[in-house]
Amino acid sequence: MNFRTFILGLAASFGLPWLCLIVIPAMKYQQLTPVAYDKEKDGVEGFYPPAPVNGQGQLVYIREGCNQCHTQMIRPSQLGLDGWYKGWGQDQEGRPATAVRPNVLRDYLGEKYALLGVQRIGPDLANFGWRAGDANALHAHLYAPRSVYDWSTMPAYTGLYKVQKIQGPASERALKLPKKFAPRAGYEVVPTPEAERLVEYLQSLKKDHPIPGQSAVAATPAPAKK
Amino acid sequence: MQTTPATPDTELQADNLRRAAIDKSVKGPVLFLFINGAFWLMLSTLLGVLSAVVLVEPAFIPNLANFLASWGAPRFLVDSAAESLTYGRLQPAHINALVYGWGLQAALGVMLWIMARRSGQELRTGKSLMLVAGVFWNITISFGILAILMGKSTSIEWLEMPKFVWPVLLGCFLCYAWPIARMFGRAFRPEGFMVSTWYILAACFWFTWIFITANVALHCLPGLGALGAGIDAWYIHGVILLFFVPVGVGAAYYFIPKITGQPIASAQLASAGFWTLAVLGGWTGMQKYMGGPLPAWMTAVGACTGVLLLVPVGLVGLNHHLTTLGKHSAVATSPTLRFVFFGALFYPVSGLILALNSTFWTGSALQFTQSWYSFQMVSVYGFFSMCAFGAIYYIVPRLAGCEWLSVRLIRNHFWFSVYGVGTIVIMSLVAGWQQGSDLNDPAHWDQNFLNQVMNSRPYVVSRAVAWALISFSNFMFLIHLLLMVAGLGRRSSAPTLLHREHDEHASPVHA
Repeated sequence: MNFRTFILGLAASFGLPWLCLIVIPAMKYQQLTPVAYDKEKDGVEGFYPPAPVNGQGQLVYIREGCNQCHTQMIRPSQLGLDGWYKGWGQDQEGRPATAVRPNVLRDYLGEKYALLGVQRIGPDLANFGWRAGDANALHAHLYAPRSVYDWSTMPAYTGLYKVQKIQGPASERALKLPKKFAPRAGYEVVPTPEAERLVEYLQSLKKDHPIPGQSAVAATPAPAKK
Repeated sequence: MQTTPATPDTELQADNLRRAAIDKSVKGPVLFLFINGAFWLMLSTLLGVLSAVVLVEPAFIPNLANFLASWGAPRFLVDSAAESLTYGRLQPAHINALVYGWGLQAALGVMLWIMARRSGQELRTGKSLMLVAGVFWNITISFGILAILMGKSTSIEWLEMPKFVWPVLLGCFLCYAWPIARMFGRAFRPEGFMVSTWYILAACFWFTWIFITANVALHCLPGLGALGAGIDAWYIHGVILLFFVPVGVGAAYYFIPKITGQPIASAQLASAGFWTLAVLGGWTGMQKYMGGPLPAWMTAVGACTGVLLLVPVGLVGLNHHLTTLGKHSAVATSPTLRFVFFGALFYPVSGLILALNSTFWTGSALQFTQSWYSFQMVSVYGFFSMCAFGAIYYIVPRLAGCEWLSVRLIRNHFWFSVYGVGTIVIMSLVAGWQQGSDLNDPAHWDQNFLNQVMNSRPYVVSRAVAWALISFSNFMFLIHLLLMVAGLGRRSSAPTLLHREHDEHASPVHA
């Protein structure tokens, strides 16, 4: 074996997976576009996926490294119970009759980089929008996670909030916090624009839209079949 | 090497002179890389302690900040520090410092020296370019890691440093890789099989390719969505399996025969181990997102090769085992062999953990858990870094012109590293299993994450303790290395061996 065959061997053995796993899929991905729902078959109108992701809020999510602890990916039942967790899909009430559908490639269309996550130290956020609740509660959760669960290991993102002196009437955006976490008297906590964007992003996380042509059943919140 | 029995002395002398000339030619860049790498290693292990602590107690840093403020530290400073040092920023900073600060620099130093020695070539040109590249490398990484901590992270795992970083890193890497490849090319002998240089050249080649691919795909293309996440997972596995592993294996193939005085047991095994790694390494990675949005065949191929990689791992392990057979006393005396030997022992472990993470059977429990951290640490720290330490203990005395000062420092470094990284790897793996079983326990379907948080707490605490021990040992290593480079080592013609007469204070416990 001479030098040239050695290099050629290296190039060939690595080039094949490089081509098959990276280059061709990346080229094919560029052609992936939203698909239209068929009103008759799917029962809904518009496009799938319906709206581009909230980029401003996602930037805050990215820079804080939320994906170190939170995944955004529902696995199929044979790999995990993700789909059966209470509130991890559209259905927030009771025991789900069907599992939340696992995610597919198009769910992340339009995202520069899908934040599938590194570890799952906290709950999955793929469909967090359904259970997010109102913005104020979410702000309180981000500002003082232990006001929600006293065992929480989520960091308090105090940097996204401003503690300011109350001048005149209290701001309507001020966080309603339990006494233990509230600022001292005469002060209030208000979200910065970044916190607002982050909360909007979290509220918009709904990656379980029905897939066109696949099952209309999954689209409607499954009627409890006993 | 052919020696005529008639003139052994002159032959030997000429040989020694040639070696000394080679060492002298690479001295500057190699020592520069080792010292800076050791500083980054120190920082990375401290960040490892910190990120494990805040994972257990996120109020630790805010409380510390309040405490400092009450002692008169400027309020705005401690507050902004408290806000930026969250787990989501500390953990990537810790990993990036370990991989790019320590790992790549130590690897390049080891690669350059081994390639120069093995190919019998002096480094003729490009030395000052190398030093400049080394300086730029360190400045860029400093900016990159500071940027992560200040909130400019890209959240792309192992590529968290901002976009501007990668072209600089690539350029600097090539300033080293190109001369290394040139040396290989000049000394290539078709009939002579030089497995360590094969691995090292291949590492240069693969890293460049993987690094460009991942960065172009993730930073330059207009957004690949979930495919981007898959490419990132592929990148991480690629850097581990096709850069850190070859450098570690190459160093092991160089030092084990050198110190035991045995030739490599089987050239066929070595060649087979190399080519199976080359063929399989590029396919694996995407199984990190098994069951996810990626096309199923991609994760299936990744999982399949993740298990098949046990073949090259086994071949290399068998070869090392056969080479060291009957020479285990050398492991006790030679610091280099001790580190390399234990590094080589961690290699099969890393293969096993990769396989456990890869199969759908065990992977469904281990996916998205600390076992992922376990795999990264066993391969980057347990395997690669231990081999790199061994190499450094061999190389530095030859470049600095003096011998290591203290047996005790070396021995402490060794034992704290072995126990520390062993603890981290085992604890993270078990913690991963625990996390996964908690997550997949049907009884938890309507529960919050209390169980997961509480059950993984002891493991993370042990991780913090282990990183603290490792930091302590790395501090000793750093001091020792600095003294050596400053020329303050022992003046002696005999190498510093563990268990020798000059070592009368050593405790006999760690025999």
